[in-house]
Amino acid sequence: MSSAPPAAPAPVPPHEPSMLAAFLSFLVPGLGQIYQKRYAKGILFMVSLLGMFYLGQAMGNWQNVYLPRGGHANSLGGSLMQRWHFIGQFWIGVSSWPAVWQFFGGSMPSEEKSRFLHNYQKAPSEREVNDFLVNSDKTPDLGWVYTVIAGMLNLLVIYDAYAGPMFPAGVKRPESDQAGPKPQPAAGGAS
Amino acid sequence: MLFATSIYLHLPLMLLVISLVYSATRHEAWDEILVEAFRWGIRMLGFMAIVAIVLFGVSYLL
Repeated sequence: MSSAPPAAPAPVPPHEPSMLAAFLSFLVPGLGQIYQKRYAKGILFMVSLLGMFYLGQAMGNWQNVYLPRGGHANSLGGSLMQRWHFIGQFWIGVSSWPAVWQFFGGSMPSEEKSRFLHNYQKAPSEREVNDFLVNSDKTPDLGWVYTVIAGMLNLLVIYDAYAGPMFPAGVKRPESDQAGPKPQPAAGGAS
Repeated sequence: MLFATSIYLHLPLMLLVISLVYSATRHEAWDEILVEAFRWGIRMLGFMAIVAIVLFGVSYLL
């Protein structure tokens, strides 16, 4: 008695490029994937990247995501030149927008009401930064690295929301990609 | 002070998050994501081990 060969898995439909999903993932890491009903990946991105970003901020005493003002930083471009870290941090999305809000002088709760919110992502004074760095170890340095890495990783997440993964489910990674290039026969040699 | 431990204790967390997120943007199936994340974790760990050995060697010689 011969059994029929197992049916081949149904082909995976191609991922449709989605600007909306990409934009949602830009706003909040993983939100675009959740919108596309890829819940597990969305939650993974959200927890990992937002966790990394906020942990990084906490490690830097909440003083490492900001746009400086004054001096050479009298324009947004000048500010970015002085604080280039923000170019990487910006891609985490909404979480970095308070820094832009503070740069343009948007209203925040008064210092009496909430000192934390008043100074949240506000450029600290040079004296504040110096006092903090002198009295700490290398943790604050690692803190801003965390925030920049979280922002840069979100670029990959945004692209994943837009175009889908490089290898969709059911599509095996090519062997040549895993094991390096296959040896080629010598030119002019016998086949 | 908050988080004032050896900064090297942060390395496993960084390795885990970076390799997992990167792999999840390349694959859709979870088994493939985890295998790829493990591979990248090993690669990064190896790279950092080489850097550590070189630095140790330099500091030993100087």
